[in-house]
Amino acid sequence: MTAGAELRLARTADVHAPRPIRNALAAFLAALDLEQVVREDILVAVGEALANSVEHAYLDDPGTVELHARAEDATTLMIDVLDRGHFHDRELTPGRGLGLRIVRAIARKVHVDTDGGTRISMIFDAAVPPG
Amino acid sequence: MSRQSSLCVVKLAGELDIGQREAVAAALQLDDGDGPVLVDLGEVVYADSTVIGQLLRFRNEAEARGRRIALLIGSPQFARVLQYAGLADAFAVFDNRAAALTFLAGQRP
Repeated sequence: MTAGAELRLARTADVHAPRPIRNALAAFLAALDLEQVVREDILVAVGEALANSVEHAYLDDPGTVELHARAEDATTLMIDVLDRGHFHDRELTPGRGLGLRIVRAIARKVHVDTDGGTRISMIFDAAVPPG
Repeated sequence: MSRQSSLCVVKLAGELDIGQREAVAAALQLDDGDGPVLVDLGEVVYADSTVIGQLLRFRNEAEARGRRIALLIGSPQFARVLQYAGLADAFAVFDNRAAALTFLAGQRP
């Protein structure tokens, strides 16, 4: 993985935003030469963060959802998904608590900052196994 | 001789995320029969928690009507997502159709 490689995207935060953002992230991850299972899991976690954002951030006033991805070093990938809407933890809604659970199962570390919007910061192990 | 209840098959395919929420909800409908239910996800390449939540509700609806339900999953990634969500045991999951049909017929696969 190339340290310093970076991807920044912003789209209107509607329910159709996650798919093209995932596709762009998939191309970015492929260029980093990560193992397929690692790429798929990162896409799942980021997809959940995106879904959380577009579903709840702007219930009345459309805004944007942003993705910042950066290869911090050879084995660490940092990805933030952020909006400036209202945080709504789907874990607090019956039947809707799966998203962040999945994110936490995949990422090495997750931090949710809800000050002035929502920033879900995820750190992933991106090492390719030897051999 | 007992009557063979007809199988209800619901097939979904492609990338299923929040953008397909309404289409998935429209597809996940029980028929009027009383037979078992197979949800064929063999051609699903991506599914997020929105869809998993819809599958949970569909499972509950089927089981409330006394209908056995199974998921056919072709993507290892989808199977992992169920594990990450803590739902690996919430569904009867199969990676081949014959085993799913055996289960739905009430026999051990």
